[in-house]
Amino acid sequence: MNKFSTLLQNKMKNRFLTFLFLISCCNLIAQNNGQITGDFSLNLQSYVEDAAINAAAADEVVLNNAFLNLTYSSNNFIIGLRYESYLNALLDYDSEFRGNGVPYRYAGYTIDGLEITAGNFYEQFGSGLIFRSYEEKGLGIDNAMDGIRLKYKIGKGISLKSFIGKSRTFFTYAEGIFRGIDAEIDINETFELENATKYILGGSFISRYEQRTNPKFIIPQNVAAYAGRLNILNGGWNYYGEFAYKINDPINSLQENQMNYASGSAFTNSLTYSQRGFGITAEIHRADNMLLLSERERTGKAYIMNYIPTLSKPHAYTLLAIYPCATQAMGELGVQLDIFYKIKKGTLLGGKYGTKLNFNFSRINGLEGGYSILNDNQNHTPALFDFSQELYYSDINIEINKKVNKNVRYNAVIANQTYNKDFLEGKTPGEYGVLNSTIAVLDLSYRIKKGHTIRFETQALFSKQLETASKEAEGDWLMVLAEYTISPNWFFAIQDMYNYGNENESKRLHYMNLNVGFLKGSTRFEIGYGKKREGIFCVGGVCKLVPSSNGLNLSITTSF
Amino acid sequence: MNRFFYIIIATIFISSCEVIEGPYMTGTIDPIDTTNNQYVKNILIEDFTGHTCKNCPDAARELDAIHDVYGSQIIGLAIHAGQTFARPYPIDPTGNPDEKFIYDFRTSWGEELDGFFQVSANGLPKGMINRIDYSSSGDHRKDWGEWANIVGDELSKDVLFGISIEINQTPLMLSDQFDIIINSEALSAMSGNYKLVVCLTENNITNWQKDGDIDDESYVHKHVLRSFLTPTFGEDLAAEEINNGDNFSNGYSPVISTLENNNINHSQNTLTLGNGNAGDWDLNNMYVLAYIYDESNNEILQVEEKSLLNK
Amino acid sequence: MKKTIVFLTSIFFCTTIALAQEKSLPNIDVKTLQGKTINIQDLENDGNPMVISFWATWCKPCKKELNTIAEVYDDWQEETGVKLIAISIDDTRSMSKVAPYVNSSDWDYEVYLDSNSDLKRAMGVSTVPHTFLINKEGKIVWNHKGYIDGDEEELYEQIQHLVTKQNEK
Repeated sequence: MNKFSTLLQNKMKNRFLTFLFLISCCNLIAQNNGQITGDFSLNLQSYVEDAAINAAAADEVVLNNAFLNLTYSSNNFIIGLRYESYLNALLDYDSEFRGNGVPYRYAGYTIDGLEITAGNFYEQFGSGLIFRSYEEKGLGIDNAMDGIRLKYKIGKGISLKSFIGKSRTFFTYAEGIFRGIDAEIDINETFELENATKYILGGSFISRYEQRTNPKFIIPQNVAAYAGRLNILNGGWNYYGEFAYKINDPINSLQENQMNYASGSAFTNSLTYSQRGFGITAEIHRADNMLLLSERERTGKAYIMNYIPTLSKPHAYTLLAIYPCATQAMGELGVQLDIFYKIKKGTLLGGKYGTKLNFNFSRINGLEGGYSILNDNQNHTPALFDFSQELYYSDINIEINKKVNKNVRYNAVIANQTYNKDFLEGKTPGEYGVLNSTIAVLDLSYRIKKGHTIRFETQALFSKQLETASKEAEGDWLMVLAEYTISPNWFFAIQDMYNYGNENESKRLHYMNLNVGFLKGSTRFEIGYGKKREGIFCVGGVCKLVPSSNGLNLSITTSF
Repeated sequence: MNRFFYIIIATIFISSCEVIEGPYMTGTIDPIDTTNNQYVKNILIEDFTGHTCKNCPDAARELDAIHDVYGSQIIGLAIHAGQTFARPYPIDPTGNPDEKFIYDFRTSWGEELDGFFQVSANGLPKGMINRIDYSSSGDHRKDWGEWANIVGDELSKDVLFGISIEINQTPLMLSDQFDIIINSEALSAMSGNYKLVVCLTENNITNWQKDGDIDDESYVHKHVLRSFLTPTFGEDLAAEEINNGDNFSNGYSPVISTLENNNINHSQNTLTLGNGNAGDWDLNNMYVLAYIYDESNNEILQVEEKSLLNK
Repeated sequence: MKKTIVFLTSIFFCTTIALAQEKSLPNIDVKTLQGKTINIQDLENDGNPMVISFWATWCKPCKKELNTIAEVYDDWQEETGVKLIAISIDDTRSMSKVAPYVNSSDWDYEVYLDSNSDLKRAMGVSTVPHTFLINKEGKIVWNHKGYIDGDEEELYEQIQHLVTKQNEK
């Protein structure tokens, strides 16, 4: 592990190699019909001390994350790399992102239908229940694999992919060596069936090797997980189901009660029906002891190698997302229902242009008696379907989107969310209890003249704590935003979040923010200034803690 | 041709898994043969912890489990550090009638070590095993899940120093004053800068601790750091070439109540959120802990522990 | 310091070369809403321009852009023959909502799924929405990041401009 990090961060060697690579690829362009593409992003923030909102100043005053992607591709050949710089990383990122380096580099070649990639790559098997290597820059997640990957299409409708590699964590690699293989068969294409119903079958297998000796317990050094999936399509109907199973994966402890030899399992099912003007989606998923880590005893999102997305609607409006749900890969049972409907134009409710409605309901609860545990003293397997267990999160909401006339549009949302703050935020039971919030949002835009639009957003959150808790939660919030945009280049926005309902008078604070942005082609500049509330930022059920901050932020992104 | 090759890879991969059936515990652990060895390699596990850190008892229990397996070769040291998890709650009879978490386990030396090794700033619980793998990026900070494995590897290393501790009291001294002599012996020829650190710890302190979801009133804190008899980063043992068999002797004469008062005074500093409640030491549970480390890489080469009242 | 300068100049050198080129679509697979895999380079539109727009069901400005264009899409197609391809970067969390959302919104676009962001990375897209204009040779002639009310007019101007250029040849 140490050797890898010194290799990656060995600036001299890396710079020289990348310089060579760049010069040689620039020469190649003249000869082949190759091309260079890339993108660049910089995010800089200043942190000033602000005792009222509990914001700490950064010793460096200004923190900065930046990266540059470069890709050279020509015919069947592709080379790419990414340079990342954290000097130092923003406060909402893991402090282990430190320094500069080239943590991502790869070369790929396709020959006779066999696609070979050597170096870093991202990969997902099925829906990710047993394996997903991906990047989510906003969260600071990047568990790219480093190794070899092969993709091959055998005959008609059968595709195979396999890989062997180690997973990236910050500027080094985790101990576990992963080997995986995935096969997918499009049954109709392979057997040349003419049915209206299409079947797609898939299976995947992952194995992780990590050396371990333990004087007290027998620890498997090879841990395997496998999954099978089925997708059935017929006209407007679509069914997708995947089941995953992980064989015993105990950690390397010497304490008997920490050892868990139970196998893990997870399944996800979704049934969708859609036609013109109407769509409905129903989903159910369950996870039990299904956390696959790249290094057995580590904690933290940088080591999670599978992906079980949270079964709740990803809200775009601030107050709808201040109490987000984090996936509990160790044990949860969730259901979700979405209905999309467009009220036709010309009708009474539809208005001149039609009205779009989206109803969403989701509910996530725990497993009976906790997740599966197996060791010499305990043997527990929770019931398969039990919706009466501890509620973690539930959300019921309806969104209305309507164009009133040529100049006015609005989007309105009304929601009710139940959030088990104690469990989801890892607090002591009884500290905050369960919060129930009713949220209303109105987003109205008015086109003043061609290219000039002003948009107003008003959001309100009314929250109550359901049980008598030892600590008070934040209470009610109000948010207002005004944004003025000038097509095609400018936008200006000012917003204020006000915690007017806080029981503690000194915490009834305003979080004001000012943002100005300039967009041209594929370049975007944005400068913002103001206070940010401490919060949890989640993407897909993986969350990071964002500390409160006060300062200036600058972001530049461009692609070429 | 490609297909065939591919299917072979597939079958090789799929064969790589192990299913373990119970019982899950192995049988025996070989004890160390001490007949010919006067000195064995001891390991110091510094467990950085705090009484409001709910995940920390897991680390302390892992340390106990490691001790159960390997015996007296494992010496633990609990350092309560950092403002987040180790600061005491203010003494407030109305707001905190159960007197939860009002004890101040911190020491000035513990804070200094925490600052140098950047431990609590990176989350607790974290530990150091003989301070190996010291680096600016924090490789020396080990999660408790890794301890068992690292200890296994550490125990196979050569013993470079031997330490024996002598504790005396004469009738002319105060009842809580002791003469402590640390005798060190080099077991091979070496050159480098070696430092000796001597400190006092107290075992079995019953006081509040957050343990998972509950607040445990009768939690037993083990091997808690109380005081240092040398400076935090030790004093020079030898600064030139050492030959096999070289002996060194260092002596200290602490008065325990003076040390206790120093801690109480240090705790009364409100800037560090102390409350002065750092006393009530029990001599019967106290130990002298001495270790020698290599200044070039901070690695601890030998450690030894002895009960103060020879219990 | 010297090495930094060398490194930065070589980046600058390659960037200028990169900017001078007209890029073609990368060799990446995406999935249709029916689960079939197709290669993005195989997309064509009978010599007419194509617009590739990256979006997601959770991205408000993306939905705004595509809904606004949907209102005038018939006119655009009549006048220029343009085809809009909407690439959804929704991952497995929201992938199952793409088809119902698309159908209930009455879109006539071709929608493809890029659930592990392979095409997004290959085309250098960092934030959505990001829209590209492709000519009949499969080359990217124009692209635009973000969406502000009124941007669809600029997109349409670019499409018309491309059509006149292609007709001149």
